[in-house]
Amino acid sequence: MGKKVLIIDDEEDIRNFLIELFKDNGFETMTASDGIEGLKLLKDEKPDLITLDLQMPNDTGTAFYRKMHRDEQFNKIPIIVISGVAGKHLAIKKPFAIFDKPIDATALLETAQNAVDENS
Amino acid sequence: MRKARLDKSRRLVDTIYRTLFQQVPFNVAVIDRDHNVVNANDNFTKRFGDWRGKKCYNVYKKLNQPCDECPSAKVFEDGNVVVADDVGVDQNGKETHYVGHVAPIRMEEGGPVEYVLEMTRTVTGTKSWQQEYQILFDRVPCYITVIDREFRILRANEAFRQTFGDKQNQHCYEVYKRRKTKCPNCPAAKTFKDGLVHHSQQVGTKKGGEKAHYVLSTSPLARGDKEVIHVIEISTDITETKKLEKEVVDAERLAAVGQTVAGLAHSIKNMLMGLEGGMYITKKALVRDDKEMLSQGWDMLERNFDKTTSLVKDFLSFSKGRLPELVMVNPNSLVNEIIGLYQDIAKSIGVILVADLDPKIKDVPLDPKGIHTCLTNLVSNAIDACQMSDKKDCHVCIKTKDTKNTLTFTVVDEGCGIDYDIKSRIFTTFFTTKGGKGTGLGLLTTRKIVQEHGGKITVVSKKDEDTKFTMAFPKKRLQTLFKKDSAE
Repeated sequence: MGKKVLIIDDEEDIRNFLIELFKDNGFETMTASDGIEGLKLLKDEKPDLITLDLQMPNDTGTAFYRKMHRDEQFNKIPIIVISGVAGKHLAIKKPFAIFDKPIDATALLETAQNAVDENS
Repeated sequence: MRKARLDKSRRLVDTIYRTLFQQVPFNVAVIDRDHNVVNANDNFTKRFGDWRGKKCYNVYKKLNQPCDECPSAKVFEDGNVVVADDVGVDQNGKETHYVGHVAPIRMEEGGPVEYVLEMTRTVTGTKSWQQEYQILFDRVPCYITVIDREFRILRANEAFRQTFGDKQNQHCYEVYKRRKTKCPNCPAAKTFKDGLVHHSQQVGTKKGGEKAHYVLSTSPLARGDKEVIHVIEISTDITETKKLEKEVVDAERLAAVGQTVAGLAHSIKNMLMGLEGGMYITKKALVRDDKEMLSQGWDMLERNFDKTTSLVKDFLSFSKGRLPELVMVNPNSLVNEIIGLYQDIAKSIGVILVADLDPKIKDVPLDPKGIHTCLTNLVSNAIDACQMSDKKDCHVCIKTKDTKNTLTFTVVDEGCGIDYDIKSRIFTTFFTTKGGKGTGLGLLTTRKIVQEHGGKITVVSKKDEDTKFTMAFPKKRLQTLFKKDSAE
């Protein structure tokens, strides 16, 4: 069984890209197009890693993080921020890593692997 | 008897003379040709001290030789009364200012002037007040000039002289603005004419050549009710304030540019990542020779290419600062074009697009391309709003209306509505509720085009209720723009 990664991004193409990328490297994937959907999946699926976009309609990545962090069950799950906004390093308190868009696929996969290894 | 009466009357004259000599509120002294003080009243003695056997210059000024400009000498010479204004030293050694008359005394009518009568009044108090006034005039942080009806500068204060140079007797317009002729709308000319204070903002040139911005008020200097003889011009320099104002505007502009660039960069980064994904999947498909996957990757590439194109287009049409190119068109035909363009797409997703056109509408000057862009933006928003609601058979209606003064286009949809918070942000740069699908420039561009036509765009909407966007164009304004446009 591969590790589960929850991909949260409002752009369908970006979600599809990340699904393929993670699947090709032995991860199991699930996606959400905003923070609300993300929270639901978090509770149902208990992922090992989350990639989080910051600027999304409905609920922002920051709001998602705040809600998730309040729950002790989930606040240890590593988060990788993937966003094109300026000031993204300030949006979330303790992300495992931050990636600018477009991403460096090799580096992302390496980081994702480290994140799940460290946490298990 | 007769002699006694004569004596009495002479005694009376003598008494009057002595009383007058002593009681007149002046310092009175009689001087002979050799500057000797031969007589003086008590006032004079109190002021200047003992005078007996002394020369006038010694008594008045404690000097040992006659003054350079001696008013008495002039009177001895031509026999006319002279008005004098001088500074002396009183018996306590203090400076004392006095003004007065110097009159000739002839012992016989038509004879030579044998003595002069100096009647002076101490004005030391007035003088010090004048000095204070002079200091105020010079040191006040304003430029002050007094000009005559020829616009020549009679007096200028220190601040003015330092900034514009010592330019007495030159025309004010030459000195303030380096003009050869009177300024148009000259506020001083108005004050000369109506005797009232006038205020204005002016730009002049300092003696070093730099620009000076100042707020000017012109006040009349008149004697009684007579016409204004002089005008006093008082200006406050606001060059520094103007500079600060410009800095603020520049900073705001820079901030706006920064914000725009950041928004643009964010959109572009998302599209780049979409392209990156498309490339990844296409490459994988090629390796696996998987046709289905290949078409998925290709679609991603195409979609993100289209998005980039439309962002650049929207951005250009938004940033273009051009005037609309007006031609006479029928507003209804513009609407029909849009209906033709969107009807099929709308139908395919269950949205009913209709037009409600004013049949009496006449041709008006509009920029057809611009209005086309506006209607496209509004209609595509309306269709999106319908898609976001769960309602069945959602209608979108484009209306035209021609009233006496105004031409209006209205786009109404029965979609999801706009809540208050979002409504306040729909006309801001890069604001979108459509995630990656929107550029956040559509309504901003629409408003810009409408405003360039001299019109106004308004929105009426509530969450889950109908949304109505109205573009209203005052017809007079369109005609004015049209005339201007055709004239160029």
